[in-house]
Amino acid sequence: MTPLHTPLYACIHAEEFPAQALLRLRTDLAVQPLAVLDGKPPLETVCSLNRPARLKGAEVGLTRLEAEALPGLQLLPRSLETEAAARAVLLESAAQFSPRLEPASRMEDQGLTCACVLDITGTERLFGPPNDLAARLRDALTEAGLRASVAVSANFHTARLKAATSRGITVVAPGQEAAALGKLPLSALGLPPDPAEIFSIWGIRTLDELAALPESDLVARLGPQTVDWRRLAQGTLPHAFQPMEAAFTLEEFCAFETPVEQIDSLLFVGARMIDCLATRAGARALSLASMEIEMKLDGGAATKRTIRPALATTDRKFLLKLLQLEVAAHPPQAAVLALTLRAQAGQSSKVQLGLFAPQTPEPSRLDVTIARLKAIAGEDRVGSPVLLDTHRPGSFRMVGFSVVETGTGVARARRMVERAEPDSGDTRPCMALRRVRPPTQVRVQLDALKPIAFRDREQSYQVAAAYGPWRSSGCWWSTEACNNEYWNSEEWDVLAESSSGAAASCLLVRNCTNNHWQLEAFYD
Amino acid sequence: MDARTTAGLETGATTPMTQEHEYIELHAASAFSFLAGASQPEALIERAAELGMSAVALADRNGIYGAARFHTMAKKTGVRARIGAEIAVSTFGDRLTPAAWLPHQFPAEPARLTLLCASQIGYQNLCQLITRFKMREATKAEGAATLEDLEEFSSGLICLSGGAEGPLAAALTNKGQSEAGKLAERLSSIYGRGNYYLELQRHGQREEEIRNQSLISLADSLNLSVIATNGVQYAIEADREILDVLTTIRHHTSLDKAGRLLAQSTARSLLPARHMAALFADIPEAIANTRMVSDRLEFTLDNLGYKFPHYPVGAGETMDGFLAQRVEEGVRKRYGSPAKRALLAKARAQVEHELKLIAKLGFAGYFLIVWDLIRYCQNHGILAQGRGSAANSAVCYALEITAVDPVGMELLFERFLNENRGEWPDIDLDLPSGDQREQVIQYVYERYGQLGAAMTANVISYRGRSAAREVGKALDFTEDQLARLSTLVGHWEWRGANDTLAHNFAQAGFDARHPRIARYLDLCMRMQNLPRHLGQHSGGMVICAGMLNRVVPLERASMPGRTVIQWDKEDCADMGLIKVDLLGLGMMAVLQDSIELIPRHYKREIDLAALPEDPVVYETLCKADTVGMFQVESRAQMASIPHNAPVRFYDLVVQVAIIRPGPIVGKMMHPYMRRRQGKEEVTYPHPSLEPVLKRTLGVPLFQEQLLRMAMTVASFSGAEAEELRRAVGMRRSMQRMKDLEGRLRAGMARNGIKPDAQDNIVQSISSFAMYGFPESHAASFALIAYASAYLKVHYLAAFTCGLLNNQPMGFYSPAVLIKDAQRHGLRVRPIDVLRSEWLCTLEQPADEPAVEQESIALKGHGFSRAERVAKSTRALAPEGMPGGKNTFPQGLKPSSFLAPSDGTVKTVPFQNKTSKPSPNFLTGTESLPYLSLRIGLNYVKGLRQASAEAIVAARRNGDFASVDDLAARVPELSRKELVALAHVGALNRLGAVEHRRDALWQVEQAGRPVGPLLRGAAPVAQAANPLRQMEADERLAADYAGTGITTGPHPMAWQRAELQRQGFLSARELEECSSERRVRLAGRVICRQRPGTAKGFVFLSVEDETGIANVIITPDLFEQNRVVVTRSRFLSITGKLQKQDGVVHLKAQQVEVFELAAF
Repeated sequence: MTPLHTPLYACIHAEEFPAQALLRLRTDLAVQPLAVLDGKPPLETVCSLNRPARLKGAEVGLTRLEAEALPGLQLLPRSLETEAAARAVLLESAAQFSPRLEPASRMEDQGLTCACVLDITGTERLFGPPNDLAARLRDALTEAGLRASVAVSANFHTARLKAATSRGITVVAPGQEAAALGKLPLSALGLPPDPAEIFSIWGIRTLDELAALPESDLVARLGPQTVDWRRLAQGTLPHAFQPMEAAFTLEEFCAFETPVEQIDSLLFVGARMIDCLATRAGARALSLASMEIEMKLDGGAATKRTIRPALATTDRKFLLKLLQLEVAAHPPQAAVLALTLRAQAGQSSKVQLGLFAPQTPEPSRLDVTIARLKAIAGEDRVGSPVLLDTHRPGSFRMVGFSVVETGTGVARARRMVERAEPDSGDTRPCMALRRVRPPTQVRVQLDALKPIAFRDREQSYQVAAAYGPWRSSGCWWSTEACNNEYWNSEEWDVLAESSSGAAASCLLVRNCTNNHWQLEAFYD
Repeated sequence: MDARTTAGLETGATTPMTQEHEYIELHAASAFSFLAGASQPEALIERAAELGMSAVALADRNGIYGAARFHTMAKKTGVRARIGAEIAVSTFGDRLTPAAWLPHQFPAEPARLTLLCASQIGYQNLCQLITRFKMREATKAEGAATLEDLEEFSSGLICLSGGAEGPLAAALTNKGQSEAGKLAERLSSIYGRGNYYLELQRHGQREEEIRNQSLISLADSLNLSVIATNGVQYAIEADREILDVLTTIRHHTSLDKAGRLLAQSTARSLLPARHMAALFADIPEAIANTRMVSDRLEFTLDNLGYKFPHYPVGAGETMDGFLAQRVEEGVRKRYGSPAKRALLAKARAQVEHELKLIAKLGFAGYFLIVWDLIRYCQNHGILAQGRGSAANSAVCYALEITAVDPVGMELLFERFLNENRGEWPDIDLDLPSGDQREQVIQYVYERYGQLGAAMTANVISYRGRSAAREVGKALDFTEDQLARLSTLVGHWEWRGANDTLAHNFAQAGFDARHPRIARYLDLCMRMQNLPRHLGQHSGGMVICAGMLNRVVPLERASMPGRTVIQWDKEDCADMGLIKVDLLGLGMMAVLQDSIELIPRHYKREIDLAALPEDPVVYETLCKADTVGMFQVESRAQMASIPHNAPVRFYDLVVQVAIIRPGPIVGKMMHPYMRRRQGKEEVTYPHPSLEPVLKRTLGVPLFQEQLLRMAMTVASFSGAEAEELRRAVGMRRSMQRMKDLEGRLRAGMARNGIKPDAQDNIVQSISSFAMYGFPESHAASFALIAYASAYLKVHYLAAFTCGLLNNQPMGFYSPAVLIKDAQRHGLRVRPIDVLRSEWLCTLEQPADEPAVEQESIALKGHGFSRAERVAKSTRALAPEGMPGGKNTFPQGLKPSSFLAPSDGTVKTVPFQNKTSKPSPNFLTGTESLPYLSLRIGLNYVKGLRQASAEAIVAARRNGDFASVDDLAARVPELSRKELVALAHVGALNRLGAVEHRRDALWQVEQAGRPVGPLLRGAAPVAQAANPLRQMEADERLAADYAGTGITTGPHPMAWQRAELQRQGFLSARELEECSSERRVRLAGRVICRQRPGTAKGFVFLSVEDETGIANVIITPDLFEQNRVVVTRSRFLSITGKLQKQDGVVHLKAQQVEVFELAAF
């Protein structure tokens, strides 16, 4: 079947995108030399710059210090958020001319350029001939604060390559693709390093030189993929257009006519929204792995919370319960004007229960319990503590509970039985350490660097015996002010008698950097 | 808990210091525990001295690597050095690691015991024990002893149970008290109850204290003694940081990720006795025992028991007698010729004097053993020559150990050996680097046994770049950051006001004020000179009578068949171990290659021991035309040699000696040069010194002259004079120097020398004693320098071939050597799979018709067939350079190679043969073949030797017909290797190959494996090659990229027309310009130097197709163009010409990058 229209593509290519993205909203800086720094301090380098900066002698790869040495050069840190916003603006501007867009930025560019190809087949009656369309497209981008080259061709790749290697507007007439691409350097194809090196020593520098090589001989030497490279160079490589699709987002939004103060009212709407989200996810055989709740508050503020069940689920009641607990734990500070629920889809969970395994609570019930605990204790204070590989005393991190498959039901059952009957052979006395959270500041009286008495807010203690100091220090290399984790402490195990006559075995800790003493724990 | 243990846990109490509380640290590890200790042994001793500790024991891991330094430093400070080691024992299982429930990254490694040497037998046992388990490994490895080893070598040793790394700690934690008790009993039965101590350490850790209590309990129950140690790993607390960095390096991790691998606190420093007594106040016997054990450790390294082996002589003969016979034979041989007969009597008297002293000092065996090595070399056709002060000895000359005649040259024997020196003589032998040197080394092993001889170690220490990389990794810098930082740190030899680290970091784009960078720099600086690992010295071999493994532990070297001792050469010297240096000298290998090539290709024999003294050679030297020549090719030599204008051998001896940092710093160079040029009057500090200083125009240059001066003016004996030289030269003891100066002045006064003249002489001696060079050493080197110059002048092809086959060596890259040889008329042919061997070879004209040769050369550089035919009708020319056979660029005719017009040739004074006029193949004065040099396949980057040898082997069955034929007959060749060969033009002569790109096109198909279906099928007819041939600049780029050299024209030759248009002069044209003229020059930078003596000036050697120009960059200009000057390969320079006595310098005023498309 002959197509109704000859295919036609327009490619937009925006160079120096990090700089453009920043300058788009800072028009005051547009005429000043500006360079964008990327990387981790103190070793940032210039990743993008504008034309005045280039004229000043700046170039990509300069270190911060080198760039600072150039007088008048404005340095800004790279902002991925700004670039994402600018990318959205570019796509939005392009979408005015065609709903069919395909991203064309190369992975190896690492976001330093932004390119997309529009399928403009059959748009002549709307926007005029390709030249006019390209001009209007470029104007639209300019109006949006972006500078880009535009190339139009009946071949997708020709448009893409031409836009990336030329400035302004280029329209390649049908049948002229090979001629238009011929003088481009071979590097424009972005070939893998090995074939690129072979072509280099063969003296193949431009696309027309590659195109002129005999196909069968080329395939015999470099393999079948050379056919595509050759066609690419000739402007004849076909392309199956893959337009960007709107991402599958699970989001529900409800703006209230009047500010809502009652949580029940909020949950009433929330229940309906969860229902919709679960239905939509279920329609794709998915479940809800997490759910973000955003509330726009009276007065302009907003609050966001996230609930994350242990297993992805579509159980509406359960999700509503989690929502209820979350909102109850963190009630909005003002009346709610609008509610948004965004969910992340996940695979439905399946748990194989063992025949002999003891009955365990349902994961959903555990989630509810944990949510209740978190509401009481705090988000980062519920979970399973895991020790860290460090000498720092008391170092651990909290890990959320998760369902881990640990073997067959029989094995699990056996392990549980074993745990229930500890080895009776070990007769060593056990001593429990009862941590004081938070530790109590104490004043300590010393004799020859050894504690002989101390007092807390309530009473004083006489030390009968002190064992120590148990020393620990580390992280001496941590130098950044924001991240100074250096520690140097001494611990003393003391037997003491309080002024009231009670005996206590406790752990005193001295911070050697500031000489502060704390009562950290009691031995029971 | 009994009363003692209760008190023991209550620590921190102050204890009054008493004699019985004196504490000796008996378990200290130095940085020679390699990444497990952070302080040098010297630092431990210094700290012990500061703390008033009377003794300290060093126990490094699996070795006594740091013991010699420890001992030497201890002697200086008065601290007694106790020697021991921590020995890994595999039988005891793994050392203690944190409990399994604690996250950690400890690898499994065997537990370690601490062994201390109580007596010489104990020390010998420790050395044998270490040697036993080290040599049990097939390659260089840490190794571990077994219980049987401990049992065998237990006598004379005191064993400590070890701290957390010991077997008892592991047994107590993992197996319980009863098992630990059994282990303790086992060890106490091996070492004896009184020689086994349970070690208690207190670093402020609860687990450790629990173990301590268990150990105390064990000691009570088993009736063993406890002893306190601190398990020291660094001298001062601050060095814990270095230990942490070293730990990350050892475990290949970073500080952020190392976790429990790092130190828990700073407790493992060397602590004062008072502190330790307080820590162990509850167990005073643990402290008291340290003193008691230390007193029992009677062994010191002064009592090593080392003996040099005897040379086997016949029954009834003595070594002295045998040596005297060999010397007499040598004297007859050396001085028996009519020319030297005048010296015979003097020589006999000299050897008699020397032999007397050798006999008195008992060194005959040493001389005979070195003589034996020389004899081995002679019998196996290996060039060998003694260097250093041995050349002062007539005995060495007679034994053919050295080649310099000390009698003829009036060299002073006392500089080599004297009665008072108290040291063994030191004879270094220069051997051809490579296989032949290895052959001699293996002979030594064979003759003295695997446990009787070993290489000395070379301690690889952290230097700027390695420290920068490792510290950067520890601080988690990325690869990219590491590369930038370490490149920067590599240039830390700074001088001048701006040459601070901060400034240099700023130049490279790093802010040294940033805390992270500042921390990095601080750690880098503190890491400097800490040992990283043990390598082997380039040639030092220690030989021992009996078992060397009783004197110092031996271990495997990385190289198969080599063993290495645990001390480096300085340690060996300090400990009185005698070594023979078998040094590989690249130039010796070149000479060796040359004397093999010359008879084969020039049809004449050459005897290096009888080279004629040839004016042509000196003429060449005077012109500083010395690229490739030994010792006289450096930039500084080239700049000075025309001023000194050597015309005889002794001038060359001076020339070799004078361009050294010492003479330059000692300001001896310029007075000599001025006097040499007649610009300054020759004067002497005292008229009586004229005979001593006449040869060096009144300027003392050599150490031997210092000795003679003292002997002349103050009537010192030779031994006294040598003592004076050493005292003044080393400046160690001010008192000693004053005494000697007093004696010197008294002696001079006795001889009637007035005080002002005395001052003059003392001043003269003091100023150069530090920097003077041994005349004998200079003479030995000058011999090789002369031989290299002679061979280059007369046998250029063979000499260049030798140079290219023994790279890397010397100052210049192969590319520079080839261009220099070509400028002297040598034809260098490109790599060719039909001709080239693995190494470079010489070819006779008969090997290839001239027309064909030219055709090939032109083809190699991309001329078409038609062009080749047209061009090949011309006479031969250097490859790719249009022109005829003798067409050299203007001014390049090698006049220096012309034979002397009068035909008179003197002989080198120390030789005995009548010489003939110099042969010269270029001028045709002798009918020598027009040889050419074929570049070997070893210059093709990426081509394996096995593949190249397969090509050569396959070629014996007939030439390769085509690329396909080559690929089929040499299946070892990979596609990449075929591409590499094609890229550099090595396949150009194969059939159906038009040019390099044609070959490249063909190899891409030929080099790909064919499936089973088509294997064996006839190759498909090739379509015409679609690739265009390379342009000149592309060929140039391919040559340099693929081989690092080009046989075609110099890169600048292609630019010459344009350069001339722009007013640039060539290097050759500079010589013809007048001084002070402003000129422009462009060329390739082949050498950059910023010597310490030059006050920040930079010297460049810039090469173009006509020669090499010398460029001087002022410090200011360098500061402005630092990057351009240090990094650019090609430069264009504008500046003022300076000419003085035939030396041309361009003083740069402007420096720019010269862009070449090919580079």
